Parts: sequence; C-alpha cells; structure tokens
Amino acid sequence: MAVATASEPSPIQVLADFGKSKSLRTLLRVLILCFIAGAAVSSRLFSVIRFESIIHEFDPWFNFRATKYLIANGFYDFWDWFDDRTWHPLGRVTGGTLYPGLMVTSGAIYHALRALTIPVDIRNICVLLAPAFSGLTAFAAYLLTNEMTTNTSAGLLAAAFMGITPGYISRSVAGSYDNEAIAIFLLVFTFYLWIKALKLGSVLWGALCALFYGYMVASWGGYAFITCLVPLHSFVLICMGRYSTRLYVSYTTWYALGTLASMQIPFVGFLPVRTSEHMPALGIFGFLQLVAFIYYIRSALSGAQFKAFLFVGLGAVFGLALLALVAMTSAGYIAPWSGRFYSLWDTGYAKIHIPIIASVSEHQPTAWPAFFFDLNMLIWLFPAGVYLCFQDLKDEHVFVVVYALFGSYFAGVMVRLMLTLTPIVCVAAAMASSQLLSTFLSIKSPKAKDPEQEDATDSSSKKTKQNTGSLRSANSPYVGVYSFLSKGLVSGIMTIYLLLFVLHCTWVTSNAYSSPSVVLASRMPDGSQHIIDDYREAYQWLRQNTKEDAKIMSWWDYGYQIGGMADRPTLVDNNTWNNTHIATVGKAMSSSEEVSYPIMRQHEVDYVLVVFGGLLGYSGDDINKFLWMVRIAEGIWPDEVSERKFFTPRGEYRVDGEATETMKNSLMYKMSYYNYHTMFPPGQAQDRVRGVRLPDTGPVLDTLDEAFTSENWIIRIYKVKDLDNVGRDHSAAASFERGHKKKKSTKKRGPRALRVE
Amino acid sequence: MRWLPLFISLALPFGTLAAKKPATPADTFNGFHTKALATTPVKLADPSYKKLTASPRDYSVAVLLTAMDSRFGCQLCHEFQPEWELLAKSWLRGDKKAESRIIFSTLDFSDGRDTFISVLGPPNRTCADVLPPSIGPHAVPGVEGPIRYDFTNGALTAEQVHSWIARHMPGRPTPAVKRPVNYVAWAVGVVSTLGVAGALAKAGPYILPIIQNRNAWAAISLIGILMFTSGHMFNQIRKVPYVAGDGHGGISYFSSGFQNQLGMETQIIAFIYGLLSFAAIALIMKVPRVADAKKQQVWVLLWCAVLFLVYSFLLSIFRIKNGGYPFSLPPFM
Repeated sequence: MAVATASEPSPIQVLADFGKSKSLRTLLRVLILCFIAGAAVSSRLFSVIRFESIIHEFDPWFNFRATKYLIANGFYDFWDWFDDRTWHPLGRVTGGTLYPGLMVTSGAIYHALRALTIPVDIRNICVLLAPAFSGLTAFAAYLLTNEMTTNTSAGLLAAAFMGITPGYISRSVAGSYDNEAIAIFLLVFTFYLWIKALKLGSVLWGALCALFYGYMVASWGGYAFITCLVPLHSFVLICMGRYSTRLYVSYTTWYALGTLASMQIPFVGFLPVRTSEHMPALGIFGFLQLVAFIYYIRSALSGAQFKAFLFVGLGAVFGLALLALVAMTSAGYIAPWSGRFYSLWDTGYAKIHIPIIASVSEHQPTAWPAFFFDLNMLIWLFPAGVYLCFQDLKDEHVFVVVYALFGSYFAGVMVRLMLTLTPIVCVAAAMASSQLLSTFLSIKSPKAKDPEQEDATDSSSKKTKQNTGSLRSANSPYVGVYSFLSKGLVSGIMTIYLLLFVLHCTWVTSNAYSSPSVVLASRMPDGSQHIIDDYREAYQWLRQNTKEDAKIMSWWDYGYQIGGMADRPTLVDNNTWNNTHIATVGKAMSSSEEVSYPIMRQHEVDYVLVVFGGLLGYSGDDINKFLWMVRIAEGIWPDEVSERKFFTPRGEYRVDGEATETMKNSLMYKMSYYNYHTMFPPGQAQDRVRGVRLPDTGPVLDTLDEAFTSENWIIRIYKVKDLDNVGRDHSAAASFERGHKKKKSTKKRGPRALRVE
Repeated sequence: MRWLPLFISLALPFGTLAAKKPATPADTFNGFHTKALATTPVKLADPSYKKLTASPRDYSVAVLLTAMDSRFGCQLCHEFQPEWELLAKSWLRGDKKAESRIIFSTLDFSDGRDTFISVLGPPNRTCADVLPPSIGPHAVPGVEGPIRYDFTNGALTAEQVHSWIARHMPGRPTPAVKRPVNYVAWAVGVVSTLGVAGALAKAGPYILPIIQNRNAWAAISLIGILMFTSGHMFNQIRKVPYVAGDGHGGISYFSSGFQNQLGMETQIIAFIYGLLSFAAIALIMKVPRVADAKKQQVWVLLWCAVLFLVYSFLLSIFRIKNGGYPFSLPPFM
C-alpha cells in the first residue's frame, strides 16, 4: 500500500510498516481471534474424536432431557413443566426449579438452523454447545483485557489463555452440556459490559450489562458471584473516594434493570429481595443514593453545616438500615444465608449440617496441585499481573484486584469455583506477560549515554502517578532495555514457557478432562484401547426389558442418567431438592432387608440399581459412596441408622469377612457382593477396589432377584420381588425354597418386622 | 392386755424394716432432684450411680461419663464438660418442678472407677448415656440399657446433645438450652471498640498515609492471592499436619497424593509462586528502569536464572504429586 511505494526500505522496515497500517492490524487481530477460537473449539473435541458424540457425566443428561422436552413441547409447556418421572412419587416442578438459559439457548440455535434448512440433530447441538461458547468466551476475555490496558496484544494473549486453559476446559469439553458451558461466557461478558458502563457512565452499556446479567441469572446459579462482586467493586471504589456520577449511573442502571430481569426467572423469583446473598447489591444501591445525595448537599451547603449534616445524617441512616436488616431477618422476611452459600464462609458448617453438600466432590476444598494442574504457569503470572494493576489503579484495575482476591479465596474453598477464578487469572496473566514481552521485544534500544530520553506517554503517565502516590518500583524513570542479550534471553524463556503451557494444556485436556465418564476407556495388554461401556449397556437393558413406568431406585448420582438414557422414573436424582427423600433411599440402602423391603414397596420400586467396581477396580462405586448414604440417612433417622455401626470396633470401614454385622446385612452390601464369590475359585474372591479378600460364602438375598449384571459387573440391577403368593414373608419363603424346615424363630420374627416403618 | 407391749416390741423391728424398705422410685427421684436443685449436674460416685440407675425407675437419667483428671488426657472430656453443665443448668431452670422427670448427672472416673470401667472401659473417652424409665407413663418398652450418645462425630455443643436427649423423651417438656449472656465479653467488646475508635481518631493523621499507601495494599493483595492459590484454605478446612515423617525417621515435606498436601508444603509452594511472580515483576517494572546498562544486564541475567531454575524446580515438585506428568525443564529433570 502506501508503504510499498516508499523508496528502498529494508525488508524489516517493510514488515514493521506493514504492521502499522491500522486496517491491517484490525484484520490481523480478527484473524488471530478466529484462530484462537478455532484452537479453543478443537482442543475440546478429544472426547468426540476418541469416543463419539455423546453427552457426559450426570447433570448434562438432565439438561439434554430438558432440551428435548423443550424442542418437543414448545417454550410454554417447558416453562410449566411438571415432571412426574423423577422423584417418584413426589414429582418435580421442573419448569420452576431449573435455570432455563442453557436449554433455551440450544433450542434457539436448533430452530435457527432449522429455519436455515440445516438439519442438525439436537444431540449434536447439545454436545457442541460448550466448545462453541468457549470461542465466544475467548473473545469476551479479549474485550475485557483491552479495557484494562492500552496494549492490545494483552487482549490477544488473554483470549489465547482463556481458550486453552484447563481450568475452563474442565467444564466445557464437547459433551459436557452443563450450565457452565454458556455461563462462563456470560460471566466474562457481563464483567466486560460492567467495566465499559463504568468507564463511560453510560445508561446504554449499563442496560446491556443488566441484560446479560439477566441471561446469566437464567443460566447458572453462580450468578451470585456477579451479584456480589459488582457491589463489592462499587463499595471499594466509594471507600477509595472515587465516587463519580459514572459509577452512580452505571450501578443504578445495572441494579434496577438486572434485578428486574433476574426476577423473571421462576426459580429465582423474589430471592433478590429476600435472601442475604443478594443483600450486598441492594445495600450498595441504597448506599449509592445516599452518597449521591451527600454530594448534592455538599454543593449546596457551606462547609461547617455540611460536616454536621454528614455526621448526623449518615450515622442515622446507616444505623436505621442496619436495624431494619436485623429486624427483617429475625422476622423472617429476609432469609439468612442459604446453606450452600453460607458454607463458603464458615467452612465447617456444611460438614456438620448439610452432608449432602459435603458429599459432592466438587464441593471439597482445593489442594495446590489442582491450581497448578488447571492453570500451569498462569498461576504465578497472575500475582504479577495484579501487581501491575496497582501501577495505574484506575477504576477498572480496582475491579481486577477485588476479583482476584475474592476469586482466589472461593477457588480455594471449593474446587468447583476454580471456574470463576480462571477468567481473571487469564486476564491478569496476559497483562503481565504482554507487558513483559513488549518490554523485551521492542527493537529500539535506549542510548546508554542518554538515559533521560523517555517516551512522552510514559513520562506523562508517570507524573500523574507521582501525584497520587505510586508504586515504589515505578519511582525511577522508565529507560528501556539496552542489550540484545537481555531481550533474547527473556523472550526466549517466555517462548519456552508459552510453548510448555500449550503442551501442558493439551496434555491435561487429553488425559484428565476428556473422558465422558459414561464410557470408560482402558488399555489392553497389547496397548490397544478397550472401551468399557457398562453404563450404557445397563441403561439400554432397562429401556428394553422393563415396563415404561417401572420405578428404579438408585443412589441420586445416577438419577439423571437413568432418566436421560433409560427413560425410566427414578426416586431421587442429582437435583437434590428433597433431602428427606434422598435420606429415605439412603435408609433403604443401608438397612437390612426386613426394613428396606417395606420402604421399597411403599415407594413402588420395581428395580434397584447399584454400581459395583470390585471386579474391575472402578473406585467410584456405591460401596465407596456408601458412608455418605449412611450419613445422610442418619441425619433424618438417627435412631435407626448409625454410622458407627458400619465401622468395626477398631474404627475401620471393612467389607471383607471382618465387616460388621450391620454392614453385612445392609441391602447395599448384599446387592454389591451377591454371587460375586462365584466368579472366583474358592478362597480367591477378591475386591479389587478395596484390595481385600472376600469370604467364601456370599450374602443371601430374600426380597430381591438379580435381574441384570453388566459385562464388567459395574452395574447390577435387582428386581424387587412381589408379595408372596401364600402370604409368607420373603425370608421364610426363601428359606423354604432352599429346603430348610420352617423355623419357629423366623415365623415369629418375620411378620413383626414387616410392620416396621 | 399384756399382749400390747409384746406386739409393740414385735412390731418395732418391722417398723425399722419398713423404714429401711427399698426406697420407691419416686423417693429416689425426689432425693436426687433436691440434690440437683443445689448443684446440677449431680456428681455421682459408685454407690449413688447404682442407686440412681436402679431398676425399676419411672424417671430418666442422663449420665455423662467423663475422665477429667489430666492423667488420662481426655481432650474431649474437657471440651464437653462446660457444655454439659450448661445443658443441665438451663434444663433445670426451665423445668423447676421436674415435670420432665430427668436427672442430669456426671460420673467422673476418679469418683466412680468401677462403674466407669464396667460401662465404658478405659478412661480415655467420654460419652453421655440416657437411661429411659422402665415403669410409669413414660416407660419405653423394649429398650434395655442406656441409649448412648457417641462423640465420634465431634458434635460437642449443648444444643446438639439437647436435641438428641429431647428425641428420646417424647411427650415430656424439654426446656431449650439458654446460653447465659456473657457480660464480660460484651463489656470487653464495647470498651475495646470505643478504645479502637478513639485510637483511630487520635492516630488518624498518622495511620491514613499507611491505609492510603498503594504499596501496602499491593503487598496485602499479593500475599492474599499467593496464600489462597497455594492451598491455604485446604489446610484450614482439612486441618492437615504441618509435616509428616517419611517412614525412615526423616521428614517428608511433600505428601505424595494429588488430593492432599502438608502445611509446610503449601508454604514452600507459596514461596515459589512468590519468587516467580517477583521475578516477573522485576523484569517488567524494575529492569527497564535501571539507567546503567551493565547493571541492567546483570539484573536481567539474575532474574532470568531465578525464573528458569525455580520454574524447573516447581515442575519437578509437581511431578512428585502427579506421577504421570510428562513435562520437565532442565536442570531439575
């Protein structure tokens, strides 16, 4: 272009000038962003390539089922959906107890593609939704970072980091069709809009922010993170004496519209004005009005009058507000912190009061290897980036600092919240690494004799800094890097690290986050891959061999999968809204047959499904989860179920011959090990998960019939026997079948036990 | 009428016998209740334990078996004792007429050695028993022997034990636990708040520059972030040990599992992260501000060496935690 016509430029000069053209830079940026999005999508496709286009894990199966319902029955039916095929016999008001954003998004995409006459199966949309949105997340990270620095390459780096960092991939591989799939994009984009609104003081951007906040509320329970972080940011700004009309306009716009938007979701409803986790937002809203009023008064009153007014007025209003909050909380108008949320502050709370929360592995605290595993070198670039924010410390930098601190606290308390930390880590680390690279990659070297020569922009920014009190490390004037060796060394190291980061991300994604968990992969002795497909085998069996409305009892982990894959009603599922019902199932599993059978009859259970990993060495099985069932049951029936009785007197949790009587008689134990010893020669029966040898005589089941056992024994399904034809109880009938004489004791014990519960 | 004195003399031993006749359950209860009104929970010894828990009885007995003597090293006993006393006192206060018919009592190992051993075994643990009535309107059929509250879950507040006892006493009043107002704490709180406020008002001009100091806030933020990202909250929640032995008499600084860690380990990691961050910060902020070219060169070399060595070391530590991790950098291969 204009450069090409210049006379005799050196090739490097051509290249440099070529890059300076503004339109070309834009083109390059767009291209790079497209490549990043491509990398983000493709790195999430491991599981589709290795296995097939399949929905993963547990919750996605419910989302998939709900999406299918939405497609089949339309939006209004979906909104009013009462699901009688879960939580039998209670049912679930599904339309009012889910976050509909995800399903509506994929439904909209489905209909849009249909309108364009592209026939796509809804399953493929669901499988590929998370990777597609990860590309958008990378773009949102680019925008957010660009608001933080003037250096546009930081944005590109942030987009690249966001695209491939395992901390985000962990929840967004193809097939993990979960709320987080779209929620992280919404989170980052809402923050971007918030920063934009704050910077411009614009109602339009504030309204956009509220719109996306509403979308976020419709998509994920983690919206509370935004609800708390934005007010916190505003509060810190006010405390720093940075109140401005920009802040007032953007915050009030966001809060008013955002709260209205969030209240449209049936599941959220009036929570934003009734629960404590939403109170900071409301409080800051009121506080801002007050501050604005004070600023107005100050412009109208004289100094002394104003001071008196300030003390009296502010103190009175603050005291009254606090009093009102306390009164309304104690009167029950405002619910105190909800359990899940409260457990983030008082970390011992959940362990004692809500075992169902503590039992979920995602709710465990995070050990340091998990941070390094998910973020690799970003984890140490992150503090450096936060430090750089203190250099200018504009309003948006305060946001980074506040977000970084709270994000890292929450991520430390709960593994799952690593997800909310990841965006800010990417942004801060990108700021640090781009500044490092731009410092050491600049071709210009300062002249050694004339260190006073500075960039005009640098000196001006430095002067403002010194006015407001700056970082000590930025006191001396900026010079630049002299030697080529330094530049080469640092950029070399950074290149190695960045390459290593890419390798690390690929390795982690490929090894840790790409297994669908519905299908397990193992290696044969010759190195070839062997697929273990017991789950789908069992669910397919249920689908083909049981009645349409046969009720399946299993631990809640498998509820969504049974609903989604086998299409059979379940007693409990992963939407753990009714603890008592879950405890009922826990009690049935952990009690003896005489107690369990009436429970199962009362709940019309036809089949019981257990997961057993003893043969294969699959550690996520029900015997390993058993103590949680016992604990949750004990929480409701402390007199009938006792955790202590499942431990030997020496305090061990054993399943072999030394197991306690309660353990051996529990339904779960019997179902897991029923007939298991027949797989082995006498005396060789072994449980490969717990690494113990089992007794030669297996447990005896009287009230259940073994109906199905999958290829690797991972899933075992039992049919609940009907009542005996001649009115005997099942143990008597079974002992008669075995050819024993009728014993008086059994006769005496049997009927009485049946009336228990 | 010479028979009369004879009758009387004959009746005398009967009279004394009648007086010595085993006390009725109601008498026992009233006796212990008056004791309880003086000091509750009632302190028991071997004979009084037998007397109180003798069958038949139409009242409930709640006994805390404890070993307070420091020789036995029963941590739990010491932690729970004040809660038990609080529970007993607030129960009695709410139920002065003893309508709930329960006696709260404590049996210390040093007072009732034989009973303790026969009931609970060696004196290294504690438990609370509730003995339901065997006769009377509140009798629970089919329950023999005491119902035991196990302290295995570490449940130690009076409220929790109260709800457990209340569960075994259906149809009877169960006065709630009332914690006494801690006037001392309130006084200390109010005075210290006023003191701090006064000190702040007085020292404001000196403290304000520190509060407004950007360097201080930067340091606080970085320390916070480093602490949280190196697993400090995990240590807090799981109460992990600081260091562990390696089985050969030495100390192992790193636990081998991916899901667990030691206190020392997280501090090392936080230090490593801090060092790497600081190297990056120095390269970004400090180095380009060094006016002397030679000096700058030395600094760059130094920080690059730190960056390279420490990161290599970090990767080698991570390979301890995650055996299959394939990447490493020289020199710690």
